[in-house]
Order: sequence, then structure tokens, then C-alpha cells
Amino acid sequence: MPDNWGFVAAAYGLTALVLGLYWRRLVRREKELDHAGEARARTARDAATTVAERSRQPSRSGHPRSEPASRPPLP
Amino acid sequence: MVRTLGWLSAAALALGLVMAFGVAPREVSQGNVQRIMYVHPPLAWVAYLAFGVVAAASIAYLVRRAPGADRLAHASAEVGVLFTGLAIATGSIWGKPTWGTWWTWDARLTSVAILFVMYLGYLLLRGTVEDRERAARYCAVLGIVAALDMPLVHFSVYWWRTLHQPPSLMKPGGFTGSAAILWPLLVNLAAFTVLYAYLVAKRVRLLRAEAEALA
Amino acid sequence: MSFARRALVVAWKDLLVERRSKETLNALIFFALLLLFVFQFALGPDRERLAGVLPGVLWLGFILSGLLALGRTFLVEREHDCWEGLLLAPGDKSAVYLGKLAGNLALMAVVETLVLGLFVVFFDIDLARAFPGLVVVVALATLGLAAVGTLFAAMTAHVRAREVLFPVLLLPVQVPVLLAAVKATEALLAGEPLGAVAHWVKLLAAADVVYLAVGVLTFDAILEG
Repeated sequence: MPDNWGFVAAAYGLTALVLGLYWRRLVRREKELDHAGEARARTARDAATTVAERSRQPSRSGHPRSEPASRPPLP
Repeated sequence: MVRTLGWLSAAALALGLVMAFGVAPREVSQGNVQRIMYVHPPLAWVAYLAFGVVAAASIAYLVRRAPGADRLAHASAEVGVLFTGLAIATGSIWGKPTWGTWWTWDARLTSVAILFVMYLGYLLLRGTVEDRERAARYCAVLGIVAALDMPLVHFSVYWWRTLHQPPSLMKPGGFTGSAAILWPLLVNLAAFTVLYAYLVAKRVRLLRAEAEALA
Repeated sequence: MSFARRALVVAWKDLLVERRSKETLNALIFFALLLLFVFQFALGPDRERLAGVLPGVLWLGFILSGLLALGRTFLVEREHDCWEGLLLAPGDKSAVYLGKLAGNLALMAVVETLVLGLFVVFFDIDLARAFPGLVVVVALATLGLAAVGTLFAAMTAHVRAREVLFPVLLLPVQVPVLLAAVKATEALLAGEPLGAVAHWVKLLAAADVVYLAVGVLTFDAILEG
């Protein structure tokens, strides 16, 4: 009986491909969510800082101080 | 924990691969095509295992309404449908050179095909029902019905094929091989099971993160 | 109100609605008739070939009509905004399930009798010997179909793609019922006694028990919201 290595390769290859792609999708999606989570946490933190700082300032002009620390970092 | 599973499955799969080609001999009657039988039965086994987990998690969800149970069912269904599809595909790829045909309605293939369609229905229901809590409940019921149905499917399909019919070429049970064939099979069986556990764990974690992101 | 009473109320309400409007019944009868024509055209006039596939064609007819009938189980509640009424029904909701099931069974019985009658006429079948056994098989299989169908109809009632989703969910689950019914019908029409298909009959009975149990136990969960 001929060996049909092509079929063997197809079977193993397909299995590896499908499962590998699925695994990669899971990993990617997890990274996406991690980054999104971090970005959200960061903006929440920055918003809180700015508000807290503003409430401590006596300034009524509404202009933020020009010190870099009080400005929200660029995204 | 999940990472350990990941490394473990990678190692086990590697070992399984080596054994399937290094340890296992060239089969006498079928030739090297028989080596597909070191992935096909493990895939089929996981297909059924995954469905069992869907059923168990579904029952747990209906009884306790824990979102974790629902996530487990969802994840197991997703991973399960992949394994089932691959089981069918690899079985078909093996069948072409061996039986001469891509498909035949023999008892086992038919049962796995029905299992596949049930998985698809489950995932379709999940995707179609918009409210998440409702989707969880409905899918739980479907999971239970489908799982309880599988033994009935087995018997009916088996009787359908074997009564008044000559037995199919591929006998379901009966292992008569040597250790050189048994061990690669067992290792791959374990490896694919660990891989299943790893993928489900990752998927559950992802589902939980997605749920929290929406909250 | 007792459990049984509540179930009967639901069934009676449905049958009353149906008797007044005859909406579903008329459509189903017409559909069954059309199916027969379509089968004849699809399968050709060759008598021999028809005789071979007759049991399968008969059950195709039953299943397709069943899909239509069962899919509409909660149509009245859905279209006339009575769904909340079901949700607010007191006590165990499985009474609603059994009531709906009873209504469906009555509907299916009418349609199946009609389809069978048409088959006898159109395809010239002799039912005399097979009839008692056939009644048993058809009754058990229909119960199985309706038990799961009623449950899934509630599940798909509010879904957008319900016309497609309902058959997609129901058909794979009904494979054992379909196989058993066709094989048993085949044997019975070939003249064999009911005892010869005892294993199929037992399978149908087992399936019915499982489906009914799950339906009764889980209908509450379906009807929660």
C-alpha cells in the first residue's frame, strides 16, 4: 500500500493550523483587552489627579498652571 | 496556572508528535497513513469530553446561576467545536486513501457529524440571543438537551448502520495493537486533553475580561 | 388552581384560539398537500423507486409540517403581546409547557392523519396490517418531536432569526427520533409485526421520557425573562 504522506501531512498540518490560529486569536484578544484596560485605568487615574489638583488650587481663572506635572500626559 | 498548562500541553504535544513518527512503526496493512490515527481518536475524544463539560457546566449554571459556569460552558463549546471539526476532517483525510472515499455514513462518523452540528447550534444560539443572561439560560438548556440526546443518537445511528448491513470497515473498539502503537496513542490522547484544558482556561479568562470590560 | 388544571387551561385556550381562527390548521393542511406534490415532482413517477423511499418521504412530510406547527407555538403570545402573561402565570411554569405541548400534539395529530390519508391515496399504500403498529410509532415519535419542539419554540420566540434558528436547533436533536421512526415505519409497511421493531419503539419511548423530563424541569428557566 502506498504511503500517502501527503494525507498524513494534510491531517497533522490542518490540526496544527486550526488550533494554532485559534490560540493566536486568544492571545491577541487578551493583549488587546489588557492594553485597553491599562489605558482606561490610566485615563481614570489622570482624571482623578487633575481634578484633585484643581480642587487644591485657589486659582479661579480657570487656566491650568503651566507646570508640566499638572498637565495630563499626552496619549 | 494557565501558563503551566500552556507549557505542559506544548511539551506533551511535542512528545506525542515524536512518538507518532519515531516510536510508532509503519503499519502493515495501511502504510504510513495509519499515523493519522494518532491525532484523529484524540481529537474525537476531546470533542466528546468538551461536550460533557458543556453539559455539566450548563447544569451547574441552571442550578446556581454562577456566571463562571456559563463562561466555562461557552468556552468549552467554542474549543469543542474546533476539535470536533478537526476530528471529522482528519477522519475524512484518513478515509480517502483507506476506504477510497472522503465520506461515508458509518456509525461513528455520523455521530460525530451530529455532535458537530449540535455544537454549531449552541454557538449560533449564543450569538443570536442578545441579552447575555438570557443567552446563558437558553444555552444551558440546549446544552443539557443535546448532551442527553447523544446516547440516543449513538444507539440510533449504530442500529441504523449495522442492522441488516455489513459491519463498517473501521471497527469501533477492539484494540489489538502492540505497545509501540498503544503508547504514542495514549501520549497524544493525554496531550490533546491538556491542550483542550489550556485553551478552555484561556478562553474563560478572556470571557471574564470581556465581561469586566463591558461592565 | 392545580397543576393539571393550569395545563389544561393553557391547552384549551390554544385550541379555542385555533378553532376560531383556523389559521394554523388551514395553513398546515395546505402545506401538507403541497409537500405531497413537491415530493412527487422531486422523486419522479417511477413507482418502484417511490415504494423504496416511501417511509422516509412520509416522515419528511411529518417533520416539515411539524417544524411549521411547532415553530408557531408561541406566536399568539408574541404577536399579541401576551408573553408577560405567561411569565406572570402563577405556580410552576411547567404547567404552561405541558399545556402548550398538549395543544401541539392535538394539532400534529390532525395534520399527520391528513398526511397519512393523502399518502395512502396518492401512493397507493395498503395500511391494513401495519396500522396499529404505525399508530404506536407515529404517536411516540410525534411526542418526542413536540416535547423538544415546544421547549425550543419558547427559546427562539424572541430571537430575530427564529424561523431559521428553530429548525437548526431542533433537527439535530431529533435525529434519533427520525431514524427510529423511519426504520420502524419501513419494517411495518413491509409487513413485519410491531415486535420486530421493538428496539426502535423502546428507543422512541426512552427519548420521550428524556425529552419530557428535561422540558418539564427546564421550562421555568426559559420563561424567566
